[in-house]
Amino acid sequence: MSVLEQLHEWWPTLRYLLLGSFPQGPLGGAALTVAMSIVSALLSALAGLAGGIALAMTRGALHFLLVAVIGLFRAIPVLLLIFWTFFLMPMLLHIDVPGLACVICALALIGGAYLSHSVQAGLAAVGAAQQQAALSLGMTRWQALRYVQLPQGLRIMAPSFVNQWVTLIKDTSLAYIVGVPEFTFLATQVNNRLMVYPVQIFLFVAFVYLVLCSTLQWAVGRLLRKPRRIGSKGAALAARAVVEHRAARHDAGSA
Amino acid sequence: MGNWLEPKYTQLILHGFMTTLVLSVCAIVSSTALGFLLGLARHARRRAITRAAALYVLTFRNSPLLVQLLFWYFGAATLLPQAWMSWLNTPHPLAVGGLTFAWPSFEFVAGWVGLTCYATTFVGEEFRAGMQGVPRGQQQAAAALGLTPFATFRYVVLPQALRIALPPLAGQYMNIVKNSSLTMAIGLAELSYASRQVDTETFKTFQAFGAATVLYIATIAVLEAALLVVRRGGAYGRHGGAR
Repeated sequence: MSVLEQLHEWWPTLRYLLLGSFPQGPLGGAALTVAMSIVSALLSALAGLAGGIALAMTRGALHFLLVAVIGLFRAIPVLLLIFWTFFLMPMLLHIDVPGLACVICALALIGGAYLSHSVQAGLAAVGAAQQQAALSLGMTRWQALRYVQLPQGLRIMAPSFVNQWVTLIKDTSLAYIVGVPEFTFLATQVNNRLMVYPVQIFLFVAFVYLVLCSTLQWAVGRLLRKPRRIGSKGAALAARAVVEHRAARHDAGSA
Repeated sequence: MGNWLEPKYTQLILHGFMTTLVLSVCAIVSSTALGFLLGLARHARRRAITRAAALYVLTFRNSPLLVQLLFWYFGAATLLPQAWMSWLNTPHPLAVGGLTFAWPSFEFVAGWVGLTCYATTFVGEEFRAGMQGVPRGQQQAAAALGLTPFATFRYVVLPQALRIALPPLAGQYMNIVKNSSLTMAIGLAELSYASRQVDTETFKTFQAFGAATVLYIATIAVLEAALLVVRRGGAYGRHGGAR
């Protein structure tokens, strides 16, 4: 059999694995994996930023509570959290929540919990001096965070974000357990139907995930290699503050 | 406590917990041994060895553990010779000093192999980072004192590397415990599997998942505490060694 004939024979299976029953039915397969990864990556980044900033800004009992909650999410397996969201979300929201939303929610929570600590560490790595300098220039705590600490911190945090997103892409495969028709789920379905090609199927699936994860790492690596100027708005704000500060001193000196 | 699970189901969950613990310990031991070798391989002088090690890390780190487990469970069964499979599937109980070890199921073996291959990449990277964290000057100083390369590695680099690598290693061991939950996908009756089974049989979802959650958190907490104890012991040991 020629390669072309083989491809022709395998095409429906391949297409099913990559897109699910898409034009006719809902999106599935590798495409759904990508979509899930993007949505939960964005949500986990938001949750992580919020959590990390909250960790950096709070003290005392509230801080302790935050650390405990984040620690809880970090201590339980993703699979168990998926079970919990699958069970609790419909109960709390009083609506029928699809499995897909539950999984995305669980992934965002776990990713957010891990990223919180990275964000906190990134802010700490920027140093207290930067914050003090910003405050002494007359910025509020939020302005200091937004225009001085975060732009520098994000650069430091970037590798943690990429690592977490790679983990996230891999963890979307766990949606299999609640029957979301993503890539791994369809692969087991196809495997159960064909029975005789488990090695080829799972090697192919692993390879596609490998391509997805490597592409993400490569793309972010490229994006970060070119040093961009940090937040032009923040720089302008800081420059203006410096100028005003000098002007004020000058006024005071001449008076 | 009318709402609590019946003893039968508590038993089921505890049995699942034991399986989780045994699988985790097995995977921790084997991935530590292999990870140490991988860490060495990534520092090897021969380019071929470093390349191969890097390729191993790339492939096993960037594909999901679940897919790897499915591969070992479904794929390995067709790849291995028939004789090996039937040997694996017939029990060979091992009796050592009055203790009888049950022969592991194929699910257990596949889960162990899968977890080990996956975790080895992470453990190996921690070892590598630990060895990289030891300043070059230490090696040069040891060489200047007349230590052989092996003695330098054994008595100067390794102890410091282990101290650096210990906290992230403990983190990886916690990940192994959590990742062992994925073996439920290939039908190993560990903690997550048991809690889900209890959930479907009793509809006491809250209790079933709650019990599993508490047990996982307790295991992670014990590992965290063990890390603290070892680190403190290490600090005292260093004091003793300096004298």
